[in-house]
Amino acid sequence: MAKDVKPTRKNLMQIEDRIELSERGHDTLEKKRDGLIMEFMDILDQAQDVRSGLEEDYETAQQKINMARAMEGDVAVRGAAAALKEHPEITTESKNIMGVVVPQIESSKVRKGLDERGYGVLGTSGRIDEAAEAYEELLESIILAAEVETAMKKMLTEIETTKRRVNALEFKLLPELKENQEYIEQKLEEQEREEIFRLKKIKAKKEEEEKEERAAAEAEAAEEAETVTAD
Amino acid sequence: MSVKETDGTSNYEYVTARVQARRAALFDDEDYRKLVRMGPSEIARYMEETEYEEEVNALGSRYDGVDLIEHALNRNLAKHFNDLLRWADGELYEFIARYLRKFDAWNVKTVIRGVYSDSESEAVEEDLIYAGEFDRQFLDRLVEAGSIEEVVEMLDRTRYGEPLSEAYGSYEETGVLIPLENAVDRTYYEGLMSGVTETDNRANQLYAEFLQAEIDFRNARNALRIARSNADIDPADYFIEGGELFRASELSQISNSLDELVTFIRDSTYGDDLSEALDELERADSLIGFEHALDAALLEYSDHLSHVFPLSICPVLAYVLAKEREVDNIRAIARGREAGLSEDEIENELVML
Repeated sequence: MAKDVKPTRKNLMQIEDRIELSERGHDTLEKKRDGLIMEFMDILDQAQDVRSGLEEDYETAQQKINMARAMEGDVAVRGAAAALKEHPEITTESKNIMGVVVPQIESSKVRKGLDERGYGVLGTSGRIDEAAEAYEELLESIILAAEVETAMKKMLTEIETTKRRVNALEFKLLPELKENQEYIEQKLEEQEREEIFRLKKIKAKKEEEEKEERAAAEAEAAEEAETVTAD
Repeated sequence: MSVKETDGTSNYEYVTARVQARRAALFDDEDYRKLVRMGPSEIARYMEETEYEEEVNALGSRYDGVDLIEHALNRNLAKHFNDLLRWADGELYEFIARYLRKFDAWNVKTVIRGVYSDSESEAVEEDLIYAGEFDRQFLDRLVEAGSIEEVVEMLDRTRYGEPLSEAYGSYEETGVLIPLENAVDRTYYEGLMSGVTETDNRANQLYAEFLQAEIDFRNARNALRIARSNADIDPADYFIEGGELFRASELSQISNSLDELVTFIRDSTYGDDLSEALDELERADSLIGFEHALDAALLEYSDHLSHVFPLSICPVLAYVLAKEREVDNIRAIARGREAGLSEDEIENELVML
């Protein structure tokens, strides 16, 4: 990887900038991950309560409807159920938990009064009321469980994504960038050393040449002096 | 629609003799003890060897399991009650019919619910119990009605015609069946008492007292249901005339509080009979035990009357209640076994003398 990078000072500066940005991003993502985990733990507790409540409500509703079917007869229970025409309504909105959009489910007309269930009061019994009540309660628990468990799943996906991003930054991108930085620094140092060596060599060569020139000049001057003396 | 002419003298001797024979054939504690230990298919097989043989065999190809048992029970109940109406003459016929009209009310409500929920006519027909005064042809025509308005029009010449026409406007306004169902039930309960109190015959007076108790229990049951539901309902709207326990005006005042209502019933003439049921109601915050106790009290009262006045409407009434209770008990056992209830739980739900 490092060999693909041109060891230039410009690249080094760019890499240093990227390292700084990545480290900042890593810190932020780490904080986000920790925050999400804390939120998730809260939702998890809530989901566990809701789930156990749901199971309890289901058991109760089943027991009540079984009792109503046993004592009033299946025909009577079906008849009372057929009298209901206004069904519960559900609307979904969304809320944001640390950047995760989770659903918020609002329900209406789930709990009904004795005068809203459709069947006549005079000819029916408390068993049918209690079965209807238990099922209304169960429906509310199902709606709450749907909200909490969807939020939990979305949080979990987001935690996974954030964790992958943190790991990618920590174990892949940052080490690579640092390796590139080191490579370029080494290369630049090496280039610098080479340059110094080259300059020294040139200087030495120049000095040698100057020395030679000076020696030649001196020799020439000595030769001229000898000639004058001989004349 | 076939309604028998009620002129002529009552044949108490004949009807009560036949009723005594029928009553002796009802399931006893030993039968229930056996049934509680059986599964639904074993119960159906056991029924094949009893009084219910004809119905179980006739319906065996259409239904199975607990549905077979429930439909066989309903058909057998209808057969027995039709026999009562067939045997009885004069005043006795009228006394029996006024009680059995609860099945007419049931059938009218079932048809209205079927039309309201766009159910198939075959499905509605399956849920009818042919034990009242309306004959099969009339009920079949009702089932085929295309709209609730048509049902109300077809019932125009019956006792339910006028109350249903009056309630129809309210149904159109609200879109729920409550006004129509309440009109039907109110007509039935108020019809129970009409003219029955004006008699010198002690047995008939006691019969009237029994009907009053039934209405009082129904009012008490409904008032407690309304009080428990915390719904914004005036209990006076659901009050049935003819009872002794409440007046409509005082019911509105006391039924805001469950405690007040319980205290009121405790201080009434039924207080001693229902004290255990009221204790249970306060303890368990559930009406089921209370309703159970009301059913048991009515059954016991009717049985007591049948021994005091053997040649009157009382033994017939006691038989009607005992037969209904048998059907309820067998159905409870079968459904209870199907739902996996324990033997003890099922036995607690049975009402036996």
